[in-house]
Amino acid sequence: MTDYNAMTDEDFRAEVRRFVESEYPAHLRNPPHRLHWQEGEEWFRIVQKKGWVAPGWPQELGGMGLDASKQIILIEEYERYGVARLPDHGVIMLGPLLIRFGTEAQRARFLPRILAGEDIWCQGYSEPGAGSDLASLRTEAVLEGDHYVVNGQKIWTTLATDANWIFCLVRTDKSGKKQEGISFLLIDMKSPGVTVRPIINLGLHDEFCEVFFDNVQVPRENLVGEPNKGWSMAKALLGFERIFLGSPRQSAYALSRLRMLAERMGVYDEPEFQERYTKLRCDLEDHKALYETFVAVLRRGEPLGADVSMLKLHQSDLFQRITELMLEIGGENAGLLKPMEGNRDLHPSGQFIEARPTTIYGGSSEIQRGILAKAVLELPG
Amino acid sequence: MSAMLEDERDDAIRMIRDSAAGIAPRGGDRKRIRALRFQSPGFDPAVWRQMGEQGWIGLRVPEEQGGAGLGMGAFCALAEELGAALAPEPLVHGALSARLLAEAGATGPLERLVAGEALVLTAWQERAGSFDVPGTPEAPRLFLPMADGAQSFLVPLRQGEGFSLILQPAEGADLTLEPTQDGGSFGTLRPRGGETVGTLSAAQMEAALEEAALGTAALLLGVMDQAFAMTLDYLRTRQQFGKPIGSFQALQHRAADLKVQIALGRASVESAAMLCDRADAPAAQRRAAIARAKARAADAALLVTRQAIQLHGGIGYTDEADIGLYLRRAMVLANQFGTAALHRRRFAAAQPEVEA
Repeated sequence: MTDYNAMTDEDFRAEVRRFVESEYPAHLRNPPHRLHWQEGEEWFRIVQKKGWVAPGWPQELGGMGLDASKQIILIEEYERYGVARLPDHGVIMLGPLLIRFGTEAQRARFLPRILAGEDIWCQGYSEPGAGSDLASLRTEAVLEGDHYVVNGQKIWTTLATDANWIFCLVRTDKSGKKQEGISFLLIDMKSPGVTVRPIINLGLHDEFCEVFFDNVQVPRENLVGEPNKGWSMAKALLGFERIFLGSPRQSAYALSRLRMLAERMGVYDEPEFQERYTKLRCDLEDHKALYETFVAVLRRGEPLGADVSMLKLHQSDLFQRITELMLEIGGENAGLLKPMEGNRDLHPSGQFIEARPTTIYGGSSEIQRGILAKAVLELPG
Repeated sequence: MSAMLEDERDDAIRMIRDSAAGIAPRGGDRKRIRALRFQSPGFDPAVWRQMGEQGWIGLRVPEEQGGAGLGMGAFCALAEELGAALAPEPLVHGALSARLLAEAGATGPLERLVAGEALVLTAWQERAGSFDVPGTPEAPRLFLPMADGAQSFLVPLRQGEGFSLILQPAEGADLTLEPTQDGGSFGTLRPRGGETVGTLSAAQMEAALEEAALGTAALLLGVMDQAFAMTLDYLRTRQQFGKPIGSFQALQHRAADLKVQIALGRASVESAAMLCDRADAPAAQRRAAIARAKARAADAALLVTRQAIQLHGGIGYTDEADIGLYLRRAMVLANQFGTAALHRRRFAAAQPEVEA
């Protein structure tokens, strides 16, 4: 087994770069939306063959065993090349949770199937009445003998149509503080009573879904950790991945497309455009500098503080401002449903719409500001 | 940079921050600041001497020339602390002269300047909002801060591709002063006579001005950081509607946005300083980073200090409230050594676009 952590950062970076440049399917670079499993499976099989499905898992469980610093390099190189994100909730969310809180039997049962691409997981957290206020979720699991009986509804479940398993936060106690009555349950989506309905989003893509549970029977052994401890477990897993919601990648890519569009529209050399474009470029470079300070925290092996919210807040805002300028300079083309001239790189309206949810998902900008105000600036109330 | 050099650099930065707190405590000795406002020369020559004794004026001057030989990381940390303290002593300007005198090999005046026994101001600017050095012999030199406290002026004159440096004594100089919003002054010097102390290339001159621009960005970082800290204190304590006003979401969210701008400013200034301290960094990359940092710091400092007044409400509009001192300092510093717009143009010219 290769001990990647023993490699120098430079050698490891070169290795990742070689891998993606030689093996990543060209037609999947920088896709305009989240890929469905079917669309991206050929890449998954390449990654699987390489043994790189789970960068952060320990090697004895089939992962690469990378430390935080090496994981960052891997992700940076993937992003740099425009490698698409696959349905990866099993690898990123569930795996680490089972490794930390699951039983031996749960690990043995679920982890190998994630690595083999046999189980595709989705995440059932948000509900129609529990978005930003997630802890008020109401999907209920009642223990009856050896089974939980689950009733309720999840929403914004990314790529649920691709998944055969869903991990859910469910209510198991209604008596106390709302955070303290939530459990973490693994549900087979083929169980009777589970219904998935795709939602067409603003980009006219069926990326997320509603999932309905109608008297769904879930074996008791599918509970992870202790009952009513689901909230703190899920929160503990909001680990260093939070930094990637603030990665400069989306904005960097959008900025390069803004430039292409400006050239195509003949406004690139106009002083007004140059002034605004340069400001955005400065914003991006400063964002990268800020991002690097958080990466440095991880490299030192320290946990991220609540101030990481700044990254997501600024990145999503910047991404939106870039695409708003695209819309302005695109003229009537900015109203076109499809890319201009069939060129995927010239698609102001598509980029604009793609940027919209970034200030909503993963904790909306308003939630991030609240976190900063209370946890970082220590403002009252 | 090796890990050992990086550790050494971090240590120097820590030490300089600690020693800054001794002379110019963060938050400022505001009684001193107020006493010096709108007086001549606007700063305290005794404190200037202390700064010399601490090695701050010659911080960037090589050790063999009597300086401390430290990097831009340390210089920016110092400037940030002095900005937070609202210290009126013109350290960045003095350090600019020290660097130019050192590069020109003008040992005598350099010694007195770095010791804090004299203030030498570089009279480079001929136009408002400019960042170039025409070096016109007869042209008035503008915006010399605290000029009535200077013992001499260093006047660059264009000579071929480079400059000759003239040291002109302040005594008998044709100098007029105008007060500035922060309680200091800008002098206009009509250069006349003086002694040639050396020559410099255009590149040396530009690099020195860039360092002064970055130092000014660090001053602004300190100004906004401290103004923000004071504003947060106010939000936590001021009560209206029976609650601390900092519990209101509209104000919390505004504070969060200001925090992001300050964090970007800090990351920008510190990454530019790091580039300056890396011997192998290409000049264009360094220039772009400094330009970006100065533009960010200027815009962010004005935003933060403006909002600091707003968040203080009525009291913020009084001269009695110290928060106004920060806005005034930011107004004066923001456009020194190049405006934000000018520096963004420099960034665009220097930074090659990277293909995504």
